[in-house]
Amino acid sequence: MKCLMVLVGVVLATGTAFAADHGPVFSYATPVNSEREFSFDSGIIGRNGSQGTQFSTGSGFGYGVTPHITVNAFLPATFGTGSLPESRIVSGSEWSAGASWRFLHSVTSVGKRIESTASLGLVVPGPQHDSGVLASLPRAPGVAGTLATGMASRSQYVWVGGGYTRFAEASHDRRPDTLSWSAVYGYRPPGLRRGYDKWDYRGFAELTGEHTGGVRTEGLILPNSSSTTVWLGPSVLAIFKDVAIEGGVQGPLFRDVSESVYGRERVRFAINLSYLKYSSHTNSH
Amino acid sequence: MNKILAVGFLVFSTFAAHAEYEQVNLTVFGMDCAPCAHAIHVSMKGIQGVNTVDVDLNTGLVSIKLTPGNSAAMHQINEAVEKNGFTHKDANVVVRGQLSGSAQAPFLDVSGTKDRYALTPIAAGTDISGLLGKTVLIEGVLPQSGKGEVSGTLHYKSVMEAK
Repeated sequence: MKCLMVLVGVVLATGTAFAADHGPVFSYATPVNSEREFSFDSGIIGRNGSQGTQFSTGSGFGYGVTPHITVNAFLPATFGTGSLPESRIVSGSEWSAGASWRFLHSVTSVGKRIESTASLGLVVPGPQHDSGVLASLPRAPGVAGTLATGMASRSQYVWVGGGYTRFAEASHDRRPDTLSWSAVYGYRPPGLRRGYDKWDYRGFAELTGEHTGGVRTEGLILPNSSSTTVWLGPSVLAIFKDVAIEGGVQGPLFRDVSESVYGRERVRFAINLSYLKYSSHTNSH
Repeated sequence: MNKILAVGFLVFSTFAAHAEYEQVNLTVFGMDCAPCAHAIHVSMKGIQGVNTVDVDLNTGLVSIKLTPGNSAAMHQINEAVEKNGFTHKDANVVVRGQLSGSAQAPFLDVSGTKDRYALTPIAAGTDISGLLGKTVLIEGVLPQSGKGEVSGTLHYKSVMEAK
Protein backbone atom coordinates (compact mmCIF):
# COMPACT_ATOMS: atom_id res chain seq x y z
CA MET A 1 0.00 0.00 0.00
CA LYS A 2 2.86 2.36 0.86
CA CYS A 3 4.49 1.59 -2.48
CA LEU A 4 1.22 2.39 -4.24
CA MET A 5 0.92 5.70 -2.41
CA VAL A 6 4.49 6.65 -3.28
CA LEU A 7 3.87 5.68 -6.92
CA VAL A 8 0.74 7.78 -7.05
CA GLY A 9 2.67 10.65 -5.52
CA VAL A 10 5.43 10.41 -8.10
CA VAL A 11 3.05 9.96 -11.00
CA LEU A 12 1.23 13.09 -10.05
CA ALA A 13 4.40 15.38 -10.23
CA THR A 14 4.69 19.11 -9.81
CA GLY A 15 6.09 21.74 -12.07
CA THR A 16 4.05 24.80 -11.34
CA ALA A 17 5.37 27.66 -9.31
CA PHE A 18 1.99 28.64 -7.95
CA ALA A 19 0.99 27.69 -4.42
CA ALA A 20 4.46 27.12 -3.04
CA ASP A 21 3.36 27.45 0.55
CA HIS A 22 4.22 30.58 2.56
CA GLY A 23 6.38 32.22 -0.10
CA PRO A 24 5.82 34.37 -3.14
CA VAL A 25 2.61 33.58 -4.99
CA PHE A 26 3.79 33.54 -8.62
CA SER A 27 7.49 32.71 -8.44
CA TYR A 28 9.55 29.60 -7.94
CA ALA A 29 10.62 29.10 -4.33
CA THR A 30 11.73 26.14 -2.26
CA PRO A 31 8.63 24.33 -1.06
CA VAL A 32 10.34 21.91 1.27
CA ASN A 33 8.47 20.86 4.37
CA SER A 34 9.79 19.88 7.77
CA GLU A 35 10.03 16.17 8.42
CA ARG A 36 6.51 14.72 8.80
CA GLU A 37 4.96 18.12 8.04
CA PHE A 38 1.85 18.24 5.89
CA SER A 39 1.12 21.39 3.93
CA PHE A 40 -2.17 22.16 2.24
CA ASP A 41 -2.66 24.87 -0.35
CA SER A 42 -5.79 26.12 -1.96
CA GLY A 43 -6.00 29.11 -4.22
CA ILE A 44 -7.25 30.77 -7.31
CA ILE A 45 -5.29 32.40 -10.08
CA GLY A 46 -6.72 34.41 -12.93
CA ARG A 47 -5.48 35.45 -16.38
CA ASN A 48 -7.45 38.21 -17.99
CA GLY A 49 -7.13 39.00 -21.68
CA SER A 50 -8.85 40.12 -24.83
CA GLN A 51 -10.80 36.89 -25.16
CA GLY A 52 -12.01 36.60 -21.60
CA THR A 53 -10.79 35.59 -18.18
CA GLN A 54 -9.44 32.16 -17.38
CA PHE A 55 -9.39 30.99 -13.77
CA SER A 56 -7.50 28.12 -12.29
CA THR A 57 -8.34 26.97 -8.86
CA GLY A 58 -6.79 24.06 -7.18
CA SER A 59 -5.58 22.27 -4.14
CA GLY A 60 -2.11 21.08 -3.42
CA PHE A 61 -0.52 19.15 -0.65
CA GLY A 62 3.00 18.36 0.41
CA TYR A 63 4.53 15.98 2.90
CA GLY A 64 8.01 16.18 4.33
CA VAL A 65 9.61 12.74 4.04
CA THR A 66 12.83 14.09 5.53
CA PRO A 67 13.84 17.67 6.44
CA HIS A 68 15.09 18.03 2.85
CA ILE A 69 12.78 15.89 0.71
CA THR A 70 9.13 16.69 0.16
CA VAL A 71 6.61 14.94 -2.03
CA ASN A 72 3.81 17.07 -3.36
CA ALA A 73 0.78 17.00 -5.58
CA PHE A 74 -1.41 19.63 -7.16
CA LEU A 75 -4.88 19.08 -8.54
CA PRO A 76 -6.25 22.13 -10.34
CA ALA A 77 -9.53 22.86 -12.01
CA THR A 78 -10.07 25.58 -14.61
CA PHE A 79 -13.06 27.59 -15.65
CA GLY A 80 -13.56 30.45 -18.05
CA THR A 81 -11.85 30.76 -21.40
CA GLY A 82 -9.07 33.05 -22.47
CA SER A 83 -7.46 31.30 -25.45
CA LEU A 84 -4.13 31.96 -23.79
CA PRO A 85 -0.69 30.40 -24.33
CA GLU A 86 0.45 27.40 -22.32
CA SER A 87 1.81 28.36 -18.90
CA ARG A 88 3.57 26.50 -16.14
CA ILE A 89 4.04 29.57 -13.92
CA VAL A 90 0.27 29.66 -13.74
CA SER A 91 -1.26 26.27 -13.19
CA GLY A 92 -3.39 24.96 -16.02
CA SER A 93 -5.71 22.01 -15.99
CA GLU A 94 -2.95 19.39 -15.63
CA TRP A 95 -2.70 17.39 -12.49
CA SER A 96 0.80 17.25 -11.25
CA ALA A 97 2.91 15.84 -8.46
CA GLY A 98 6.47 15.00 -7.70
CA ALA A 99 9.29 15.38 -5.28
CA SER A 100 11.46 18.28 -4.21
CA TRP A 101 14.97 17.84 -2.91
CA ARG A 102 16.68 20.64 -1.01
CA PHE A 103 20.22 19.75 -2.03
CA LEU A 104 21.86 22.88 -0.61
CA HIS A 105 20.93 24.11 2.80
CA SER A 106 23.01 26.56 4.77
CA VAL A 107 21.78 27.92 8.08
CA THR A 108 24.75 29.51 9.78
CA SER A 109 23.27 32.56 11.44
CA VAL A 110 20.19 33.72 13.28
CA GLY A 111 17.14 34.23 11.09
CA LYS A 112 18.89 33.50 7.79
CA ARG A 113 18.95 30.58 5.37
CA ILE A 114 20.48 29.98 1.96
CA GLU A 115 19.14 27.04 0.03
CA SER A 116 18.64 25.43 -3.35
CA THR A 117 15.95 22.99 -4.28
CA ALA A 118 15.40 20.80 -7.33
CA SER A 119 12.00 19.38 -8.17
CA LEU A 120 11.08 16.70 -10.64
CA GLY A 121 7.85 15.05 -11.51
CA LEU A 122 5.18 14.20 -14.01
CA VAL A 123 2.31 16.24 -15.34
CA VAL A 124 -0.77 14.33 -16.42
CA PRO A 125 -3.84 15.69 -18.23
CA GLY A 126 -6.78 16.42 -15.98
CA PRO A 127 -10.38 15.85 -17.03
CA GLN A 128 -10.81 19.39 -18.34
CA HIS A 129 -9.80 20.80 -21.72
CA ASP A 130 -7.96 24.00 -22.49
CA SER A 131 -9.40 26.80 -24.55
CA GLY A 132 -8.29 28.26 -27.85
CA VAL A 133 -5.70 26.59 -30.05
CA LEU A 134 -4.68 24.20 -27.26
CA ALA A 135 -8.22 22.87 -26.87
CA SER A 136 -8.08 20.68 -29.95
CA LEU A 137 -4.78 18.97 -29.10
CA PRO A 138 -4.83 15.39 -27.85
CA ARG A 139 -3.18 15.64 -24.47
CA ALA A 140 -0.32 13.52 -23.25
CA PRO A 141 1.64 13.49 -20.01
CA GLY A 142 4.75 15.57 -19.58
CA VAL A 143 7.82 15.84 -17.42
CA ALA A 144 8.53 18.95 -15.38
CA GLY A 145 11.77 19.93 -13.70
CA THR A 146 12.46 23.05 -11.65
CA LEU A 147 15.41 24.54 -9.87
CA ALA A 148 15.19 27.34 -7.32
CA THR A 149 17.81 28.98 -5.15
CA GLY A 150 17.88 31.92 -2.83
CA MET A 151 18.39 33.57 0.52
CA ALA A 152 15.81 34.44 3.14
CA SER A 153 16.38 36.43 6.29
CA ARG A 154 14.12 38.25 8.71
CA SER A 155 14.38 41.35 6.54
CA GLN A 156 15.36 40.33 2.99
CA TYR A 157 14.26 37.64 0.57
CA VAL A 158 15.96 37.06 -2.77
CA TRP A 159 15.06 34.05 -4.85
CA VAL A 160 15.55 32.95 -8.46
CA GLY A 161 14.23 29.89 -10.18
CA GLY A 162 13.52 28.23 -13.45
CA GLY A 163 11.53 25.34 -14.80
CA TYR A 164 11.17 23.32 -17.96
CA THR A 165 8.22 21.20 -18.97
CA ARG A 166 8.14 18.86 -21.94
CA PHE A 167 5.03 17.03 -23.02
CA ALA A 168 4.92 13.74 -24.86
CA GLU A 169 3.51 13.44 -28.37
CA ALA A 170 0.00 12.12 -28.88
CA SER A 171 -1.38 11.29 -32.36
CA HIS A 172 1.30 13.44 -34.06
CA ASP A 173 0.28 16.39 -31.89
CA ARG A 174 2.28 17.84 -29.05
CA ARG A 175 1.72 20.58 -26.55
CA PRO A 176 4.47 23.21 -26.52
CA ASP A 177 7.55 22.84 -24.37
CA THR A 178 7.61 25.53 -21.72
CA LEU A 179 10.61 27.29 -20.24
CA SER A 180 9.76 29.40 -17.21
CA TRP A 181 11.84 31.55 -14.92
CA SER A 182 11.32 33.89 -11.99
CA ALA A 183 13.16 36.34 -9.77
CA VAL A 184 11.67 37.71 -6.60
CA TYR A 185 12.74 40.24 -4.01
CA GLY A 186 11.00 40.41 -0.66
CA TYR A 187 11.27 42.77 2.27
CA ARG A 188 9.87 42.80 5.79
CA PRO A 189 10.01 46.27 7.40
CA PRO A 190 11.48 46.52 10.92
CA GLY A 191 8.11 47.26 12.48
CA LEU A 192 6.75 43.98 11.14
CA ARG A 193 9.56 41.77 12.42
CA ARG A 194 7.45 40.69 15.35
CA GLY A 195 7.00 37.61 17.47
CA TYR A 196 5.70 34.43 15.91
CA ASP A 197 2.46 34.68 17.85
CA LYS A 198 1.52 37.78 15.86
CA TRP A 199 0.67 38.18 12.17
CA ASP A 200 3.85 38.24 10.13
CA TYR A 201 3.95 40.10 6.79
CA ARG A 202 6.34 40.27 3.88
CA GLY A 203 6.04 42.21 0.63
CA PHE A 204 7.44 40.95 -2.67
CA ALA A 205 8.21 42.23 -6.15
CA GLU A 206 7.83 39.25 -8.46
CA LEU A 207 9.30 39.07 -11.96
CA THR A 208 8.31 36.03 -13.98
CA GLY A 209 8.83 35.03 -17.58
CA GLU A 210 7.90 32.25 -19.89
CA HIS A 211 8.73 31.01 -23.34
CA THR A 212 6.49 28.41 -24.92
CA GLY A 213 7.54 26.56 -28.03
CA GLY A 214 5.46 26.00 -31.10
CA VAL A 215 2.27 23.93 -30.97
CA ARG A 216 2.61 20.78 -33.07
CA THR A 217 -0.57 19.65 -34.72
CA GLU A 218 -0.80 16.75 -37.20
CA GLY A 219 2.99 16.60 -37.27
CA LEU A 220 3.48 20.25 -38.21
CA ILE A 221 4.35 23.27 -36.11
CA LEU A 222 1.52 25.76 -36.10
CA PRO A 223 2.92 29.08 -37.40
CA ASN A 224 3.34 31.87 -34.85
CA SER A 225 2.29 29.58 -32.01
CA SER A 226 5.35 30.12 -29.83
CA SER A 227 5.19 32.87 -27.24
CA THR A 228 7.39 34.83 -24.87
CA THR A 229 6.10 36.94 -22.01
CA VAL A 230 7.59 38.69 -18.99
CA TRP A 231 5.47 39.78 -16.04
CA LEU A 232 6.08 42.01 -13.02
CA GLY A 233 3.99 42.83 -10.01
CA PRO A 234 3.69 43.06 -6.24
CA SER A 235 2.46 40.46 -3.84
CA VAL A 236 1.98 40.22 -0.08
CA LEU A 237 2.39 37.28 2.25
CA ALA A 238 0.68 37.22 5.65
CA ILE A 239 1.36 34.42 8.11
CA PHE A 240 0.03 33.54 11.53
CA LYS A 241 1.67 30.46 13.05
CA ASP A 242 0.49 27.69 10.72
CA VAL A 243 -1.72 29.65 8.33
CA ALA A 244 -0.49 31.74 5.39
CA ILE A 245 -2.34 33.93 2.91
CA GLU A 246 -0.63 35.17 -0.23
CA GLY A 247 -2.02 37.47 -2.86
CA GLY A 248 -0.60 39.37 -5.81
CA VAL A 249 -1.13 40.89 -9.20
CA GLN A 250 1.11 41.10 -12.28
CA GLY A 251 1.12 43.10 -15.47
CA PRO A 252 3.05 42.40 -18.68
CA LEU A 253 6.51 43.92 -19.13
CA PHE A 254 7.14 42.21 -22.45
CA ARG A 255 4.91 40.25 -24.79
CA ASP A 256 5.82 38.44 -27.97
CA VAL A 257 2.58 36.63 -28.65
CA SER A 258 0.70 36.35 -31.92
CA GLU A 259 -2.80 37.68 -31.47
CA SER A 260 -3.92 35.68 -34.48
CA VAL A 261 -3.34 32.54 -32.41
CA TYR A 262 -3.86 33.59 -28.79
CA GLY A 263 -5.81 36.14 -26.81
CA ARG A 264 -3.94 39.24 -25.60
CA GLU A 265 -3.27 38.64 -21.92
CA ARG A 266 -3.42 41.83 -19.83
CA VAL A 267 -3.25 40.93 -16.17
CA ARG A 268 -2.62 38.03 -13.84
CA PHE A 269 -3.82 37.84 -10.26
CA ALA A 270 -3.68 35.20 -7.56
CA ILE A 271 -4.64 34.49 -4.00
CA ASN A 272 -3.57 31.41 -2.09
CA LEU A 273 -4.28 30.01 1.35
CA SER A 274 -1.84 27.63 3.00
CA TYR A 275 -2.19 25.51 6.10
CA LEU A 276 0.89 23.90 7.59
CA LYS A 277 0.43 20.91 9.86
CA TYR A 278 3.64 20.33 11.75
CA SER A 279 4.55 17.10 13.43
CA SER A 280 5.26 17.01 17.15
CA HIS A 281 6.76 13.54 16.82
CA THR A 282 10.25 12.97 18.15
CA ASN A 283 12.02 9.72 18.80
CA SER A 284 12.09 8.68 22.41
CA HIS A 285 15.13 7.15 24.07
CA MET B 1 0.92 6.64 60.72
CA ASN B 2 4.44 5.30 60.56
CA LYS B 3 3.65 3.59 57.27
CA ILE B 4 2.36 6.85 55.79
CA LEU B 5 5.50 8.63 56.92
CA ALA B 6 7.64 5.86 55.44
CA VAL B 7 5.84 6.03 52.10
CA GLY B 8 6.07 9.83 52.13
CA PHE B 9 9.79 9.63 52.78
CA LEU B 10 10.29 7.16 49.96
CA VAL B 11 8.35 9.34 47.54
CA PHE B 12 10.32 12.40 48.61
CA SER B 13 13.59 10.48 48.28
CA THR B 14 12.65 9.42 44.75
CA PHE B 15 11.98 12.99 43.68
CA ALA B 16 15.12 14.25 45.38
CA ALA B 17 17.26 11.71 43.57
CA HIS B 18 15.63 12.13 40.15
CA ALA B 19 17.94 13.43 37.48
CA GLU B 20 16.54 15.61 34.77
CA TYR B 21 16.90 18.70 32.65
CA GLU B 22 15.17 21.67 34.20
CA GLN B 23 15.83 24.29 31.55
CA VAL B 24 17.43 24.38 28.10
CA ASN B 25 18.13 27.58 26.17
CA LEU B 26 19.53 27.36 22.69
CA THR B 27 20.02 29.72 19.78
CA VAL B 28 18.55 28.28 16.61
CA PHE B 29 19.86 29.27 13.19
CA GLY B 30 17.72 29.68 10.08
CA MET B 31 14.31 30.71 11.39
CA ASP B 32 13.20 33.59 9.17
CA CYS B 33 9.42 33.45 9.49
CA ALA B 34 6.59 32.69 11.85
CA PRO B 35 5.97 29.10 10.66
CA CYS B 36 9.64 28.32 11.35
CA ALA B 37 9.16 29.36 14.96
CA HIS B 38 5.81 27.61 15.17
CA ALA B 39 7.39 24.41 13.85
CA ILE B 40 10.02 24.55 16.60
CA HIS B 41 7.35 25.25 19.20
CA VAL B 42 5.21 22.28 18.09
CA SER B 43 8.20 19.94 17.93
CA MET B 44 9.48 20.93 21.38
CA LYS B 45 6.03 20.64 22.94
CA GLY B 46 5.82 17.14 21.51
CA ILE B 47 8.63 16.02 23.79
CA GLN B 48 7.23 14.43 26.91
CA GLY B 49 8.20 16.53 29.90
CA VAL B 50 8.48 19.88 28.14
CA ASN B 51 6.40 22.41 30.02
CA THR B 52 6.84 25.75 28.26
CA VAL B 53 8.58 26.82 25.05
CA ASP B 54 9.36 30.42 24.13
CA VAL B 55 10.72 31.26 20.69
CA ASP B 56 12.17 34.67 19.82
CA LEU B 57 12.37 34.98 16.03
CA ASN B 58 14.61 38.03 16.04
CA THR B 59 17.29 36.57 18.33
CA GLY B 60 16.71 32.92 17.45
CA LEU B 61 16.57 32.08 21.15
CA VAL B 62 14.48 29.06 22.09
CA SER B 63 13.85 28.74 25.85
CA ILE B 64 12.51 25.44 27.13
CA LYS B 65 11.35 24.75 30.68
CA LEU B 66 10.72 21.17 31.68
CA THR B 67 8.45 19.68 34.29
CA PRO B 68 9.80 18.07 37.48
CA GLY B 69 10.31 14.34 37.10
CA ASN B 70 10.66 14.48 33.31
CA SER B 71 12.83 12.05 31.38
CA ALA B 72 13.43 14.14 28.23
CA ALA B 73 16.84 13.50 26.68
CA MET B 74 19.05 16.05 24.98
CA HIS B 75 18.98 14.21 21.67
CA GLN B 76 15.20 14.73 21.51
CA ILE B 77 15.67 18.49 21.81
CA ASN B 78 18.33 18.46 19.10
CA GLU B 79 16.12 16.32 16.88
CA ALA B 80 13.23 18.78 17.28
CA VAL B 81 15.51 21.46 15.79
CA GLU B 82 17.05 19.33 13.04
CA LYS B 83 13.85 17.76 11.70
CA ASN B 84 12.66 21.24 10.83
CA GLY B 85 15.78 21.95 8.80
CA PHE B 86 17.52 24.17 11.34
CA THR B 87 20.73 24.01 13.32
CA HIS B 88 21.60 25.36 16.74
CA LYS B 89 24.58 26.71 18.59
CA ASP B 90 25.69 25.82 22.09
CA ALA B 91 22.91 25.00 24.53
CA ASN B 92 22.73 26.53 27.99
CA VAL B 93 21.29 23.98 30.36
CA VAL B 94 20.23 23.67 33.96
CA VAL B 95 20.37 19.98 34.75
CA ARG B 96 20.12 17.76 37.78
CA GLY B 97 22.19 14.57 37.92
CA GLN B 98 24.47 12.23 39.76
CA LEU B 99 28.11 13.27 40.06
CA SER B 100 30.54 10.38 39.56
CA GLY B 101 34.11 9.69 38.49
CA SER B 102 36.95 11.45 40.22
CA ALA B 103 37.88 15.01 41.11
CA GLN B 104 40.16 15.06 38.05
CA ALA B 105 37.65 13.41 35.71
CA PRO B 106 34.13 14.00 36.96
CA PHE B 107 31.03 12.81 35.13
CA LEU B 108 27.38 13.75 35.32
CA ASP B 109 24.75 11.08 34.81
CA VAL B 110 21.27 12.33 34.01
CA SER B 111 19.75 9.12 35.31
CA GLY B 112 16.25 9.62 33.92
CA THR B 113 17.87 9.48 30.50
CA LYS B 114 20.94 7.82 29.00
CA ASP B 115 22.78 11.13 28.93
CA ARG B 116 26.24 11.16 30.49
CA TYR B 117 28.65 14.06 30.32
CA ALA B 118 32.30 14.59 31.11
CA LEU B 119 32.44 17.78 33.16
CA THR B 120 34.89 20.59 32.58
CA PRO B 121 34.81 23.92 34.40
CA ILE B 122 34.35 27.13 32.45
CA ALA B 123 36.44 28.93 35.08
CA ALA B 124 39.47 27.23 36.60
CA GLY B 125 39.76 26.60 40.32
CA THR B 126 36.37 25.06 41.01
CA ASP B 127 36.62 22.14 43.43
CA ILE B 128 33.74 19.72 43.16
CA SER B 129 35.41 16.72 44.81
CA GLY B 130 33.20 17.11 47.89
CA LEU B 131 30.13 16.55 45.77
CA LEU B 132 31.18 13.24 44.20
CA GLY B 133 28.48 10.61 44.59
CA LYS B 134 25.83 13.21 45.29
CA THR B 135 22.93 14.51 43.28
CA VAL B 136 23.86 17.95 42.02
CA LEU B 137 22.28 20.80 40.12
CA ILE B 138 24.51 22.09 37.35
CA GLU B 139 24.27 25.15 35.18
CA GLY B 140 26.47 24.92 32.13
CA VAL B 141 26.97 24.90 28.41
CA LEU B 142 26.69 21.97 26.01
CA PRO B 143 28.85 22.76 22.98
CA GLN B 144 27.36 22.59 19.51
CA SER B 145 27.68 19.12 18.05
CA GLY B 146 27.17 17.51 14.66
CA LYS B 147 23.78 16.59 13.29
CA GLY B 148 22.22 13.74 15.23
CA GLU B 149 24.88 13.95 17.93
CA VAL B 150 24.97 15.26 21.48
CA SER B 151 28.15 16.64 22.98
CA GLY B 152 29.80 14.32 25.50
CA THR B 153 31.16 17.26 27.46
CA LEU B 154 29.35 19.73 29.65
CA HIS B 155 31.19 22.95 30.52
CA TYR B 156 29.82 23.91 33.91
CA LYS B 157 29.42 27.39 35.31
CA SER B 158 28.13 26.32 38.70
CA VAL B 159 27.61 23.09 40.62
CA MET B 160 25.63 22.79 43.82
CA GLU B 161 24.16 19.95 45.77
CA ALA B 162 20.57 19.40 44.77
CA LYS B 163 18.01 19.95 47.48
